[in-house]
Amino acid sequence: MENKETVPDISAFLASAIHDMKNSISVLISFLDDNITRLDPEAQRAAAPMLYEVQRVNDNLLQMLAIYKVGNQFYPFDLAENSIAEFVHEVAAQNQSLLDYLGITLDIDCDEGLHWYFDYELVAGVVAHALNNASHYTKDRLRLAVKEEDGELVMRVEDNGSGYPDNVLEAGDAVNKGVNFASGSTGLGLYFSAMVAQLHQNRGKTGTMQLENGGALGGGCFILRLP
Amino acid sequence: MYEVRDSTPLFVGKNYLIVDDFQGMRSMMRDMLRMFGGKNIDTATNANEAIAFLEKNRYDVVLCDYNLGAGKNGLQILEEGKHRNLIGLATAWLIITAEKTSDLVFGAAEHMPDDYIIKPVNEATMRSRLEKVLARKAALVDVEQAVRAKNHALTVALCDRLLAAPQTNTAELLRIKTSTLMTMGHYDLAKQVFGQILAKRDVPWAKTGLGKVAFLKGEMEQAQQLFREVIRANPAYLEAHDWLARTYENQGNLDEAQNVLARSVELSPTSVVRQRNLGEMAQKRGDLDTAATAFRKTIKLGEHSIHKAPSAYLNLAKVCADNGIPSEALQVLKNVSQEFENHEVRLHAKVLEGTVYTKSGDHNNALKLSRELASVIGADSDLPASVMLEATQLFLSTGNKEAADSMAQALVKNNHENAALLGQVGELYDQAGMHGKGEELITKSRQEVVESNNRAVLLAKEGKLDEAIQLLREARTLLPNNKRIMINLANVSVLSMRQNGANDELMQIARDCLARVAEIDPQDKWCGQAQAALDALAG
Repeated sequence: MENKETVPDISAFLASAIHDMKNSISVLISFLDDNITRLDPEAQRAAAPMLYEVQRVNDNLLQMLAIYKVGNQFYPFDLAENSIAEFVHEVAAQNQSLLDYLGITLDIDCDEGLHWYFDYELVAGVVAHALNNASHYTKDRLRLAVKEEDGELVMRVEDNGSGYPDNVLEAGDAVNKGVNFASGSTGLGLYFSAMVAQLHQNRGKTGTMQLENGGALGGGCFILRLP
Repeated sequence: MYEVRDSTPLFVGKNYLIVDDFQGMRSMMRDMLRMFGGKNIDTATNANEAIAFLEKNRYDVVLCDYNLGAGKNGLQILEEGKHRNLIGLATAWLIITAEKTSDLVFGAAEHMPDDYIIKPVNEATMRSRLEKVLARKAALVDVEQAVRAKNHALTVALCDRLLAAPQTNTAELLRIKTSTLMTMGHYDLAKQVFGQILAKRDVPWAKTGLGKVAFLKGEMEQAQQLFREVIRANPAYLEAHDWLARTYENQGNLDEAQNVLARSVELSPTSVVRQRNLGEMAQKRGDLDTAATAFRKTIKLGEHSIHKAPSAYLNLAKVCADNGIPSEALQVLKNVSQEFENHEVRLHAKVLEGTVYTKSGDHNNALKLSRELASVIGADSDLPASVMLEATQLFLSTGNKEAADSMAQALVKNNHENAALLGQVGELYDQAGMHGKGEELITKSRQEVVESNNRAVLLAKEGKLDEAIQLLREARTLLPNNKRIMINLANVSVLSMRQNGANDELMQIARDCLARVAEIDPQDKWCGQAQAALDALAG
């Protein structure tokens, strides 16, 4: 009998595997949240990294799936008008318990009456990932600011940590120019954010993503601009 | 496990249904709803259970998982619920899903959920989405009622009234308004609204709307360009694919039409209608393998769907017969007769069975079936033209000239102005080696109809309306599908009622005639005028 090595078609399993994993993550987050809430502040801070890690797994899953689907022209890019107030409060609420356990304050500074066109899922994915990331590197404070500047929507996630190291800043610049220097999870997150920015186009203008140090809190500063 | 936190009056006293195949998700969502203050919460693990609950109770909120394993998915449950009127106007339907798909975001507007939540689901998202959706449902309840009642003028008026004040549902109201304007045939008004939206931003649905206006006005080049632009910017935008395929078909570019349909099936793999469209296009082009695959999928996907219909079975049988797979063709025909208890479908299946035997060279069975059919069908001419044509062909190829002639006569008399169809009848006789016989039959049958129709028109002109009506009614009994006779009968009835006042019997006759014409040929140009005259009379 001939013994042929076959390469399985992974895409056949992809949808059902992701369906299962997302269910597991939902239950895991809900379980962790319910149980960490009952602990005293000291124990909460000690347990919080579990929530951070689960959130990271979820972010990576979301990013890989979106990149795969956009690459294969299957992503249903849904450019719809969204209320900035609703968007900001929903994204902030998703991260709130983690920040509470870690003793981090989140300042929200947004123009409540503003509406803007973007794909809700993708942009929420970018901002939630930036917040989760910043929660890991900040000292004790984060700022989420959303404003209109020069006809663009500008979303900033800032922290009061020690800022991005040079190699991450360089990787941030490079990925915007279409090169991806960074590897691992940093590379995936940057690539995803830049892809989301570039998918948003209006009347000849394209979205951008930028990393810098400084900002209102003096630490790392993630900026997403959408036309 | 849970405590009621910050319950708002919005959540109290409402009926909830949770549908999810995963126990962990069901109990998690139930705990969330209880925490918000919800008490009456039912849970279902699959589509059948969900439908059973919907048949029994009215729910204010349904949280439905998208991927429920085997059977219907969350969108298909919603579709069936709406189709069978199991879902109230105020019911908020939220789909919970692991991933966003084209079906979910860009599917048919009337079957869209009110919102979708992408997993992981957490308490904060669930609460804010539910609040948002319930508020929106409340704000739009009048509009939705008008939409469901198909009261177009009222729908537009309500949208305008709401749009006059600043509010958050602008995009949705504009979509409802423009699609209603399109239904009413007010293309230029709709075009104006699309133009205003596009002046500010490239919004795919508005650009697609502009393309639809171009299509409906017959500007195919323009339509093609617009739909292609939408797809270039949004490669997964389903509606633009559906319309681009129609545009190519209209332009006679069937190859491109099939390419676009194949892509839309990739984007929307569970859509029964799109599979059927692909099958029909491939069949038309003679791409039998693609057609067979698409029809097989149509049947499989349609099994539990409201879109289950005999056409996919009958077409698959034809394709298999043409493709040299008579065994599958016969099996499919057996299935269709079992699945659909419908006289017309069974007759059609019989005709096709005979065709399969003829094509596979099984002359004995073909002959047997041809005889059996001739005795069953007899003079039954109330069949779709395509079936009558197939039956004529079967009779001719099995040497049953008498049955063929009587079927062909009925076909010609019912469609005496359809030149393409008459041409096909003539060809069938030519192919059967009876050159000229077809022409002869067509000319004679046609003449009979024209004469009796002319006689009726003359009588009407002379003011002998009762006699004209009598003559046309007799003609209609003999030729139940002849458009010209039905339109004339409706017109003369209207004329008579104008002179002598309304009359229930004539009113019914006129209505029946026009409804039948609209059914046979939705694009008939005389039907609209006659309908308007009748409506004015009924006033």
